[in-house]
Amino acid sequence: MAETKENYDLTPRVAPNLDRHLVFPILEFLQERQLYPDEQILKFKIELLNKTNMVDYAMDIHKSLYHTEDAPQDMVERRAEVVARLKSLEEAAAPLVTFLLNPNAVQELRADKQYNLQMLKERYQIGPDQIEALYQYAKFQFECGNYSGAADYLYQYRTLCSNLERSLSALWGKLASEILMQNWDIALEELNRVKEIIDSKSFASPLNQVQNRIWLMHWGLYIFFNHENGRTQIIDLFIQDKYMNAIQTSAPHLLRYLATAFIVNKRRRPQLKEFIKVIQQEHYSYKDPIVEFLACVFVNYDFDGAQRKMKECEEVIVNDPFLGKRVEDGNFSTVPLKDEFLENARLFIFETYCRIHQRIDMGVLAEKLNLNYEEAERWIVNLIRTSKLDAKIDSESGTVIMEPTQPNVHEQLVNHTKALSGRTYKLVTQLLEHSQGQAAR
Amino acid sequence: MATIASLLASTRNPFPCFRQPLYPGSRSLVFRRYLEPCGRRTPTVPRFIRACQPSEKVGGDGGGVSASAKSYHFGNELLSFASDNFLPLALVTGVGMGFANPSLGCLADKYSLSKFSTCGIFIISGLTLRTEAIGAAVKGWPLGIFGLASILLLTPSFSRLVMLFQLQPQELVTGLGIFCCMPTTLSSGVALTHLAGGNSALALAVTVASNLLGILTIPFWVSRYIAGGVGVSFPTDQLFRSLIVTLLIPLIIGKVIRETFKGFANFVDNNRKLFSRMNAICLSLVPWVQVSRSRSLLLSVEPKVFLAAIGIGILLHLSLLAFNALSIRILSGLSGDYNSKNSKGNGTAVLLVASQKTLPVMVAVVEQLRGAFGEPGLLVLPCVAAHLNQIMIDSILVNVWLRKSNASSTDGGSDSEDESDIEEEIQEVQNNDINNRYLQDNSDDDDDIDTKRVIKPTKDKRFEEMTHTVEQMKNAMKINDWVSLQENFDKVNKQLEKVMRITEAVKPPTLYIKTLVMLEDFLNEALANKEAKKKMSPSNSKALNAMRQKLKKNNKLYEEDINKYREAPEVEEENEPEDEDDDDEEDEDEFEDDDSKEAVTDEEVDETTDTRWETMLNKKDKQMEKLLSKDPKEITWDWVNQKFKEIMAARGRKGTARFDLVDQLTHLTKIAKTPAQKLEILFSVISAQFDVNPGFSGHMPIKVWKKCVLNMLTILDILVKYTNIVVDDTIEPDENETSKPADYDGTIRVWGNLVAFIERIDTEFFKSLQSIDPHTREYVERLRDEPMFLALAQNIQDYFERMGDFKAAAKVALRRVESIYYKPQEVYEAMRKLAELVEEDEEAEDAEEESGPISSFIVVPEVVPRKPTFPESGRAMMDLLVSLIYRNGDERTKARAMLCDIYHHALMDNFGTARDLLLMSHLQDNIQHMDISTQILFNRTMAQLGLCAFRVGMITESHSCLSELYSGQRVRELLAQGVSQSRYHEKTPEQERMERRRQMPYHMHINLELLEAVHLIGAMLLEVPNMAANSLEARRRVISKNFRRLLEISERQAFNAPPENVRDHVMAATRALTKGDFQTAFEVLNSLEVWRMLKNRDSILEMVKARIKEEALRTYLFTYSSSYESLSLEQLAKMFDVTEAQVHSIVSKMMINEELHASWDQPTRCIVFHEVQHSRLQSLAFQLTEKLSVLAESNERAMEARTGGGGLDLSSRRRDNNQDYAGAASGGGRWQDNNMNSGYGGRQGNNRSGYGGRPGQPRDWSGQNRGGGYAARAGSGNRGGMQMDGSTRMVSLNRGVRA
Repeated sequence: MAETKENYDLTPRVAPNLDRHLVFPILEFLQERQLYPDEQILKFKIELLNKTNMVDYAMDIHKSLYHTEDAPQDMVERRAEVVARLKSLEEAAAPLVTFLLNPNAVQELRADKQYNLQMLKERYQIGPDQIEALYQYAKFQFECGNYSGAADYLYQYRTLCSNLERSLSALWGKLASEILMQNWDIALEELNRVKEIIDSKSFASPLNQVQNRIWLMHWGLYIFFNHENGRTQIIDLFIQDKYMNAIQTSAPHLLRYLATAFIVNKRRRPQLKEFIKVIQQEHYSYKDPIVEFLACVFVNYDFDGAQRKMKECEEVIVNDPFLGKRVEDGNFSTVPLKDEFLENARLFIFETYCRIHQRIDMGVLAEKLNLNYEEAERWIVNLIRTSKLDAKIDSESGTVIMEPTQPNVHEQLVNHTKALSGRTYKLVTQLLEHSQGQAAR
Repeated sequence: MATIASLLASTRNPFPCFRQPLYPGSRSLVFRRYLEPCGRRTPTVPRFIRACQPSEKVGGDGGGVSASAKSYHFGNELLSFASDNFLPLALVTGVGMGFANPSLGCLADKYSLSKFSTCGIFIISGLTLRTEAIGAAVKGWPLGIFGLASILLLTPSFSRLVMLFQLQPQELVTGLGIFCCMPTTLSSGVALTHLAGGNSALALAVTVASNLLGILTIPFWVSRYIAGGVGVSFPTDQLFRSLIVTLLIPLIIGKVIRETFKGFANFVDNNRKLFSRMNAICLSLVPWVQVSRSRSLLLSVEPKVFLAAIGIGILLHLSLLAFNALSIRILSGLSGDYNSKNSKGNGTAVLLVASQKTLPVMVAVVEQLRGAFGEPGLLVLPCVAAHLNQIMIDSILVNVWLRKSNASSTDGGSDSEDESDIEEEIQEVQNNDINNRYLQDNSDDDDDIDTKRVIKPTKDKRFEEMTHTVEQMKNAMKINDWVSLQENFDKVNKQLEKVMRITEAVKPPTLYIKTLVMLEDFLNEALANKEAKKKMSPSNSKALNAMRQKLKKNNKLYEEDINKYREAPEVEEENEPEDEDDDDEEDEDEFEDDDSKEAVTDEEVDETTDTRWETMLNKKDKQMEKLLSKDPKEITWDWVNQKFKEIMAARGRKGTARFDLVDQLTHLTKIAKTPAQKLEILFSVISAQFDVNPGFSGHMPIKVWKKCVLNMLTILDILVKYTNIVVDDTIEPDENETSKPADYDGTIRVWGNLVAFIERIDTEFFKSLQSIDPHTREYVERLRDEPMFLALAQNIQDYFERMGDFKAAAKVALRRVESIYYKPQEVYEAMRKLAELVEEDEEAEDAEEESGPISSFIVVPEVVPRKPTFPESGRAMMDLLVSLIYRNGDERTKARAMLCDIYHHALMDNFGTARDLLLMSHLQDNIQHMDISTQILFNRTMAQLGLCAFRVGMITESHSCLSELYSGQRVRELLAQGVSQSRYHEKTPEQERMERRRQMPYHMHINLELLEAVHLIGAMLLEVPNMAANSLEARRRVISKNFRRLLEISERQAFNAPPENVRDHVMAATRALTKGDFQTAFEVLNSLEVWRMLKNRDSILEMVKARIKEEALRTYLFTYSSSYESLSLEQLAKMFDVTEAQVHSIVSKMMINEELHASWDQPTRCIVFHEVQHSRLQSLAFQLTEKLSVLAESNERAMEARTGGGGLDLSSRRRDNNQDYAGAASGGGRWQDNNMNSGYGGRQGNNRSGYGGRPGQPRDWSGQNRGGGYAARAGSGNRGGMQMDGSTRMVSLNRGVRA
C-alpha cells in the first residue's frame, strides 16, 4: 500500500513549479503523513534551504538530522555572510524605508506614479537606485523567511516601480509571501492580479507564457483548497481554454485537482462535460484514481469500477498535501474534503445509475454506494424528499422504481430554438458594427 | 595533277577502241580475245587480263622505272595492278563483252539481270553498312542536303546548256537534256563511293532520297527545260514501286542480315575487299546489259555524230563534277571543317553521287513520253553512252583519289618518288583495310626487292613509312578502331624489320618504342574502361583482345628499351627527326625546362612522362595534359588560379565535355597551392559534377555521386583543419583571397554554400532511387549508399554547429531527419549495422586510392570521420535532430521536421504524442500554403497517423485521419506513390513530368492495400451501426461517403462472388455485420493478406474482433430494438460473446446518449425498451428547428467570411487559445498567424477535440475539390457530439449539414 501511496504522490511533479519556500509546507505535510523516511525529507529540506537565507532553520534541521549540537562550518560562515549582506541591503534601502515608515510622508504619495517618483527624487533624494535597493531588500527578507516584511516592502515597491518585468516579479513575491502567511483572501487577490498580467502581457515566447500559467496554477493550489470559495475558483481558472491547454501540454497532473474540484463542487456541473472530454483525451498521458473515477462514471458506465476507484480516491485525498488538509476536531482529526468528496462521488454514481435504470434493487444500490442497506435507504429517501430524485421506493420488493423521464416534446423544441434568437441578435449587431466601421473608414 | 592527267589519259585509251574494233593490234582486241573464252565472271578473271596488261600500262604512263619494273615479279605486278584498277577493268570488260556478244547480254536483259545486279549492289551496301556509319551519315547532313539540292534542283538546269548544242539527229541532244533532269544513279554512285572510301552511308541516303524525290521533280524539270512547258506524264507509282523493290528493300534486307547474324557481320567486315569487288562486278553488269541491248542501235548511228554526243556527255559530266566539287569545297569551307577526315568522306560521297545521273529512270521516262521528242531509241542512246562515261570517269577518279591520298600521306619530297613506291603504298593502304592473305604474302617478296636496291634515301623513306603508319595508328586510337589498329601494328612490325635491316642497328628506333609505349598505355586505358568495352562491336573487341596478347608478347622483346624510354624519353626525343605541331613543341619546351631542374622526385617524373605521352593520344585532352605536365616546382598560386579561371570559363560553353571538366578540375585540386585555393577549386569540382547530368529528368551517375560525396568530405577536412577558412556565399570574396597561405592569421573567405551542396547531393540520391527499378539489385545497392550520405550530413552539421551557424545546421539536420523518419526501428537497426560494415570496406578502398601515384600538394588528413554514428534507437536520433531544428530552423524546415517527427511517432505507435504534436503545430491549418512536397509529406504523415491510430485501437481517430485521403480517388497521387489517371482531367505532359519528379522512392512507400483495408474497416465499424441507427430517419447522416458508395455498388450486384481484393473483403464483412453476424465478419477480415504487414498482428486482430463484436451488438440493438419489449443482459452477452460488464457498459452508453430509448431493469437484469413515437406535427416541428439552426449557422459563416472571422465570440475565443497553444508547442514562429479559418470548427471545447476531421482539408494541391475540407470537418463535429453526450446531439447534427 505504501508503494501505491508513493505512486500517487505528486510532489516530484508539483515541486519544480513552486518556489522553494512554497515547497516547505508540502514537505511538512509529507513528514507528518510519514510517506517517506524522515531522514530523506530532512536531507531534502537542507538541500532546499541551502539556496535560501534561512540558515538558522537549516542549522536546526541539521542538528535534528544528525543528532549533534554542532552546526557545520560552512553553515556558520554562510550565516555570517547572510547577516552582513542583510545589513548592507538594509542600509541601501534605509532612506526609502524610513520614508515609508513615516505615515505623514506616505500620505504625500498620490495615485500618479510619475508624480510620486518626481516628488521622491526632489524632496527626499530617493532615486531609482534606492527603489531598486528596496526590491533587493524585500527579496532578501523573503529569502530569510521574513514573509510579512517582504510582503510589505514588495507592496510598496510596486507602487513605485516603473519596470513592468520587475513589477511582475514583485507580484509573484507578494503572492508567495501571502500564501506562506496563509492570508488566503489577499493571496487570491494577488493571484488574480498576476493572472491578469500574464494574460495581457506579451511574452517573449509563448512557451514562456505557458510556463507562467503553469506556475500560477500550481501556486494557486494552496489558495484554492484553503479559501472557502476556492473550489469554484479553481474550476473557473483551470477550465479556461488557455489554462486547460497549458495543463494538457505541460502539467496533466493538475487534472487531479480539477477533477476533485468538479466532484466536490455542485455549482459547476455544466462544465463537467467539457472536462470529461479532456479526460478522455488525456487518459493516455496521465492516470489518477480521481480522474479515472470520473472516466468510469461518465465514459464507460462501469459502476463497479467506479466504486473501486472511489476507495483509491480516498487514499489519494488523504495523502495529498493540498487535498488532505486536516481539521483537528477535539481529539480526532478529519479530512473534511474526503468526506465531501465521497458524498458527492456517491451522488454522481447514483445519478447516472438512475438515469439508465427503471428499477433498482436496494441491496445492489447500497453496495454500489458503499453504504449499508439502511443507510442507503435513508439516503435515497432524503434525495426523494429534497426532490432531487424522481423515484419511489417499493419497500416490499426492496427496489427503487424510477419515474419514466421522457422529455417533453415542447421542451425539446424550446431547447433547440432557444439559442437562435441570441445568435441572430449577435449577428445583426456585428453586421452593423462592421458596416459602421467600414463607413468610418 | 600530273598523275591524274596521265591516268585519265591511260584509262581513256580503252574507250576509243569501241569505235575502232577492227584494229588488230589494239589493246581492246586483246581484251576481247582474252575475255571471250572465259565469258563468266569469276574472281579469277582479272588475272587473265593482267597477263598482257602491264607493259602497255606502265609504258603509257611514261614512267622511268620501266627498266627496273621488268625485274619485278611478273605475276605479282599484274595482280596488284588488277586489284588496284578492278572497277575500271570490270567496266571495260562489261562494255567489251556487250559489243562482242550481244546475245548473252540480251538474254541477261530478258531476265532483267540489271535489276538483280542493282539489288545486289544494295544488298551488299546493306551488308557492309555499319551502324556507326549511319551516324556519320547523319552527321554529314549539311553536305547530304546540298547533294540532294544539287541533284534535284541545280543540275537539271544544265540541260539548258546541253540543249544549246545542235546535232543531227537532234534526239541525241534532247536525250542528254532529259538525262540531266534525272536523279542520281542507283548503283554506281554508292558503289564508287564505297570504293573511294567515302561515306557510303551518306551516299546511300542521298541516292535513296533523291530517287524517291526525283519522281516528283522530274516531270516538272522535263516540262520546263525540254518540252518548253508542255506537261509530261510520268509513270509515278510504277517507278516508285520499282525503286522500292530495287533500292530500299535490298538495302534493308542487307542491313537486317548484318544485324541478325553477328558472325556474318564479322565475315563481311573482314572481307571488305571481297565485297567491294562483288560490288564492282555487279556494277559492270549494268553497262554490259545496256551495251548488249543497244548495240544494234549504236551501230546504226553515224559514228561522228555519236562521237559528238558522247563528247557532250563527257563534257556534261565533267562540268557537273567541277560544279559539285566547287560547291562542296565552298560549303565545307563555310562550315569550317574542311580538313577533317569525316568531311572529306562526306564530300567524296556527295561529289560522286551528285554528279551522276541515272539511266533506268531515264529509260522509263522516255518510254512514257511515247516519242514526243523523237525516236526513243535515239533519245536513250547518248544517255547510255553518257552513263557509261560517267561510270568510267568516276571510277578513274576514284582510283586517282586512292593513289593520291596514299601518296600525299608519304609526301614530303615526292619528287624523288617513283612509281613503284606509290604502288607499294597503295598496296599497303589496302592492306590496312583488309587483311588479305595473298597480298600479304607478297610483301615479303617486295622486301627482298627493296633490300636489293638500297639507295641512300631509302632509310628516310622507311622511317617515313613507319611514321605514317604510326600516324594511322594514332588515328585509329582516336576512334577506338582496334581492327585497323591491329593491322597497323602488324605492319609496323614488318616495317621495323625493314628499317632494322637498312640501318643495321641492333636497337629498334625510338619511334617504334614510343609507339609501343603509346599502344600499351592506350590498351590499358581501353581495358580499364569496361563500359566502353562492352559497347564495342564484336569484331572490334575481338581485335582488342588479340592486340592485347600480341602487344604483350611483342613488348617483352623490347622491355628494356621501353623501360628506358619511360624513364628518360627526352634523350631519344632529341634524336627524333619528326616534326610535331606547335602544341607538342610547347610541351617539349616545358619538358626540357623540367630537365634542367634536378630536384624532381622520381614519382613525379613518372607522372609527367606518362601524361606526356598521352598528349599525343588525344588532342582533346591536351589542355588537361598540359596541366598534368606542369612541373610541380613551377606551379605557383597565380598559375593555378589562371588555369582555374580558364577552365571555369569553359564551363557551360558548348562543346565542353563535362567529364573532362571534372577531370581537369580534379587535377587542379591536387596542385592547388593553398588550402583556400584547393577549397575553392573543390567547390567548382562539385558544381561541375552536378553539371554532369543536365536537366531535371535523369539522375547523376552513381559513380559521380560517390565522388562528389568524397569531395565534400575533403572540403570538410580542409575546413576542419584550417579553421580560419570561412565558407560564405553572401559576399563576393577578394580576387586574391585564396592566395593566403595556410598559416595566414586572419579569416579567409571562400565562396561556397555547403548547405546547397548537401541538399543537392541528397536530391540526387533521391532522384536516383526514383528512377532505379525498385525490384532490382541495383536499387538495393543504391540504398546501401545512404550511410555514406548520412555520414557526410552529420559531419557538415557538426561543422556548422561548431561554427555557430545553427540555421544551416538545422537545414542539414532536416535532411538527415528526412532520411530516417520513415524507418521503423528494425530498419534503422539494419542501417546502423550496415553503416559499420560499409566503413570497413571503404577504408580498404581509401587505402588503395591513397597509394595512387598522384599526390597533391595540400595533403589533408582525414580529420572528419567517414562513418555516421547512430544512437541506439531511431527515436533518440530523431529527438536529437528535431530539437535542434525546432530551436534553429526556419519556417519550412521546422514544419517538415515536425511532420517527420509526427510520422516517426506514429510509426512507433505513439499515437498520443503524434497527435499532440500535430495539433500543437497547427500544421493542418496552414499546410495548404506550403510547397507541394511538404504537402505530400503531410499526407504521408496523416496516412501513417491513421494506421497508427488503428493499431492502437482508436478507430474513430483512424478513420478521420484517412477519410479525407480517400475522399477522391487519388490516394496514389496524394501520397506520391504512383500516378493515377483521372477520368475527367487530362494532364499535360508537363504536369505529368512534375508529378513523376515528386514520386516517393519505393522503400518509402506506405502500403496502399493496408491503408485501404484500415480505412475501409474503420469506415465499416463506424458506418454500419450508424446506418442501423438512422435507418428510419428521413435524413441520413453519412460518416464515410466513400464507404457508402462502395456499399451501394456492392449491393447492386445480383450475385456476390467470393471476395478477392480488400474492398470485396470489407464489403463481405459489412454484409455480415449488418445482420449482426460478427463471426463471419471477422473471419472474412481475418483472411485478408495485408495483416501480415503488421508487427503485432495478433493483438491487432484481437482488437478488430472486439470492435466488431461491439459494433455488431450496437447494430443489432439498433435494428431489432423495436421488436423487443425487453431483452436480457445474459442473452445479449451470449449472443455476441461479450462479457456482461461490457454489454452493460455499451448499452448504458447508448442509453445515455439517447441512441437507444430504453433503460435497465436492475433486479431482472434486462433492458426494457420504451416506445417513443412522435406525432407528425412534432416531427415536422423538429425538422423546422433543424432548418432554422442551419440557417443561423450559414448566416454566421457568411458573416465570418465577410469580416475575416473576427467577430463571433465563440470562434474568437478559440482562436486565442489556438494561438497560445501553437506558441507553446512550436516555441515561436508564425504558426499562430495562420489560423484564420480555424474558427470555423463550430465544435465546443478546446481544440484537441477538434482534431477529428481537420486533417484532410488542406490537402488540395492541384486546386480541385476545394470544398472537401468542410465535409470532413463537419463530420467530425457530429461524431464528437454523438459520442459525448445526448443533449448537444441535435446541435452537432445540424453542424453536419453545413457542409
